[in-house]
Amino acid sequence: MRSSERRAVGRTITVTILVIVLVVAAGAVYFAARSTSSAPTSMTPGSPSAKTSLVLEEEDQPDTLDPAVTYVTPGWEVVDQVYQGLVTYNGTSITAFEGVLAKSWTVSADQMNYTFALRNGVTFSNGDPFNAYVMWYSIYRTIVMAQAPYWILNQNLAAWNGNTLNVTADKLNSINYFAPSAANLTIMMNPHQSVQVVNDSAIRFNLGYGTNGMAPYSDFLATLETPMAMAVDPAFVASHGGVTAGLPNGAMTTAMMGTGFYELQSWVPGQSVSLIKNPGYWADGLPQSELNSAISPAILNNIIIYFKPSAASIADLQSGNAQMIFVPVTYYNVTKSIPGVTTAILSPAFGSAEAVSYLYMDPQAFEPFNNTQVREAIAYGINYGVIIDNVFAGHAIQWVGPVPPGFQYYNESTSGLNPYQYNATKAAELLARAGYVSHLPSGTVLNPSGEVFPRVNFLYDSDSPTDSQAAQIIATNLDAIGMSVTLTALPYKTYSSVIFSPSTNTTSYPMGIGFYSEDYTASIDYVYYFTSDNYIGTSNYASAPAISWTRNASTSANGAAVISDFRNITKTMYANYTDIWLYVAGMMTVNQNEIAGMTPNPAGSAAGYFLYFNTVHYSS
Amino acid sequence: MLLGVALIVFFISHVLSPDPALLWAGPRARPETIRAVAAAYHLNDPLPAQLYYYFQGLVTGNFGLDPQTGRPIMSEILFYAPNTLELVLASMVIIIVLGVGLGYLSGMRFGTKVDSAIRLFYLTTWSTPYYLGAVVAILAFASYIPLFPSGGNGGVGFSVAPTTGVFVLDALLQANWLAVESGIDHLILPATTLALLSFGIVPRIMRSSILDTRWSTHVKAARARGLGEGEVRRKHILRNALIDTTTVIATTFGWLFSGTIIVEQIFAWPGIGQFSYSAIISVNYPVLVACVFVFTLGVIVANFLADIIYPLLDPRITLGEGG
Repeated sequence: MRSSERRAVGRTITVTILVIVLVVAAGAVYFAARSTSSAPTSMTPGSPSAKTSLVLEEEDQPDTLDPAVTYVTPGWEVVDQVYQGLVTYNGTSITAFEGVLAKSWTVSADQMNYTFALRNGVTFSNGDPFNAYVMWYSIYRTIVMAQAPYWILNQNLAAWNGNTLNVTADKLNSINYFAPSAANLTIMMNPHQSVQVVNDSAIRFNLGYGTNGMAPYSDFLATLETPMAMAVDPAFVASHGGVTAGLPNGAMTTAMMGTGFYELQSWVPGQSVSLIKNPGYWADGLPQSELNSAISPAILNNIIIYFKPSAASIADLQSGNAQMIFVPVTYYNVTKSIPGVTTAILSPAFGSAEAVSYLYMDPQAFEPFNNTQVREAIAYGINYGVIIDNVFAGHAIQWVGPVPPGFQYYNESTSGLNPYQYNATKAAELLARAGYVSHLPSGTVLNPSGEVFPRVNFLYDSDSPTDSQAAQIIATNLDAIGMSVTLTALPYKTYSSVIFSPSTNTTSYPMGIGFYSEDYTASIDYVYYFTSDNYIGTSNYASAPAISWTRNASTSANGAAVISDFRNITKTMYANYTDIWLYVAGMMTVNQNEIAGMTPNPAGSAAGYFLYFNTVHYSS
Repeated sequence: MLLGVALIVFFISHVLSPDPALLWAGPRARPETIRAVAAAYHLNDPLPAQLYYYFQGLVTGNFGLDPQTGRPIMSEILFYAPNTLELVLASMVIIIVLGVGLGYLSGMRFGTKVDSAIRLFYLTTWSTPYYLGAVVAILAFASYIPLFPSGGNGGVGFSVAPTTGVFVLDALLQANWLAVESGIDHLILPATTLALLSFGIVPRIMRSSILDTRWSTHVKAARARGLGEGEVRRKHILRNALIDTTTVIATTFGWLFSGTIIVEQIFAWPGIGQFSYSAIISVNYPVLVACVFVFTLGVIVANFLADIIYPLLDPRITLGEGG
């Protein structure tokens, strides 16, 4: 054998031996580890030790864990466990509030001022105290950062008082919130601003500085329930980059420091969030009489939320590796058939909170949509029953907007109005009357000398399997009467940037399936979106009377007047076929039978259907 | 190569997203928010100026801030990349062992039922889309036969300091055996799935190389020289066949990276594939560029390693000499 060949063989042998040694070592370590682990770790999914931890699985993930920035349900879900705001829903109603960091509150006679008395002894989980100065900072931080969801607060609150005071990032970063100087107090106690410190345990909100102008806002408390109004620790934020005007704080994306009953143990983006019980939770020592469902200490020590596709979540539920999962209602029959698992459909308000779906038609972008008969033809041309049966297996309802089903004033607003009905014959006749060639179900051509309806792009969210299927059905329905559409799918982010864009007559997507989900739990949130925002996804609807009714409804405390306004809006949009109200999918709870203590509330956003994890526990 | 990739990604991203500020600012963002995003990322500047800022960042190793999280993209990459490396390396081990082994067996048993069965196996897995194969794997081995967890890297709840970022390795270094077990348990299913769905080309080329060499003149000469069959197979057939296969294995490394985009998503694996996926669907091109850079580097490194391995297989090949 030549020496070079020997060297080559030597190298090969060396490499081979090295690989074998590594594989054997890894195997030995693995099996050694297996043999030494007599009990499974409490942290592996599905093994809640002594039933003090729980695994929840869902598909969507948080965008960020900064309460001033997060704008998706999973983000709110986590934030709700770690941070706290002044008020929240009482767990049984979507219009009744109870105090969290606020002990009580009063509203001025003109409804322009909300004064909150704060609880004493509240601390962040690092021990830093909570007080009115901290609350002042927290609200202004959201406003100064001005990230996407800040508009919720900005409707009524602003950093600039329009005259002499402008709360800037520099001011926010320079004030001592735990021992404020006289100069600090002068700023924070200035009565001519949106948020005013009354004393260290009282704070006042003065409405009128935001985009709504000098007017009260009947759902102001609902806006304060959102993460944007939750208390953050100024010292913690300062040590994580402070506040920069107009920009998110990257360090606060993954770092959390709240007053809530859980702390963030870890967030592995793309995989999981792990929450651990706050050992120094401020309400731990409170007597039962002072507790409510929103501030009670957590029962379970550990909550792990995995972000997995629905198929994987169902597999884990089936194998016992997950105790709760959140999957679309289209899986109802699948989860219902799993032994030991409870599947229940919640009331319509929950489905509405998640999404109400409709068909938008932008008349500025596509001239034929200016014709009411065309829009009416579309309303009659869609087979709603087939969509609900085939796409949602029957677990969806038709609705009449813009007030969502299950929300306050829905029944009163829609009284006497039936959801749009499928009638292909009538649809074809309307299309023919509008001047276009159309087809009856029998095949007869109506108005053969008319204009062929121009082909139009039809947008839908390709990340939504249900909307994708519904779009196919609608396209087939419309094609049958003589309207050809080109189905155009965009992934959610791109899709939402289209439908939430200010309307222009140059959009490539003049028609499509739109949706709206709550930003805060109030009918006005939906109504405002449909009547006043003037987005592509709202059919570019900008009716002066509707805007006026909306404004009246949002500023009135008179229930009858609000109903009248909502009813006027509903009837006008209904008769005008402004948007074609399609469906509201059901929302369901899916959990192992032994899980109890969930407090469903659409505003909680936790897995979409329960308020806080603190009351969840094992019943056996 | 990196320069070319950077340019391609930059221009494709700009074509895909005519108004990224609107998208990055989030739904219903106020105009002032959209303006702030546009200013922060120079989106209102002319294209050449944007290209300048883009390359300035790349050259300094600073990918900038993620427009959707505000975090430095480099720190996000450093978090995700080791997880992907863990998955890809585990898959590579499976591919090399299984691919070379099955290819060798198939070639040596040419025309037999074993050959047919092996070919059927690798062609079936190879032609299966990632999204389908991954879901089937979960249903089969996490649900119906619950042998493995359905997702995650196994690190949840363990206090393992991220020394290298590769969870199993860090757990090993810190002698946290429960974490090692959890990490391996969670690694097996996604790594095997990724490997099986990507490895088809390896046994195919191995088999073909075996067929080319087993009846070649130098093998006949070796037998004529009286060498034992084992030695002939090992030194003259296997080693020669491995030269082509090594090239393919290096290529497969790049293929694996593309596979991670889907596999990580389905297995909730917190890697750069999933990070890329979210960047793609949100047209987050600052992040996308960084991810493509990492993938490209991975491919370059894999090919470099292949070049190093060639001389080990064939003494006639030497590094550093022009031909």
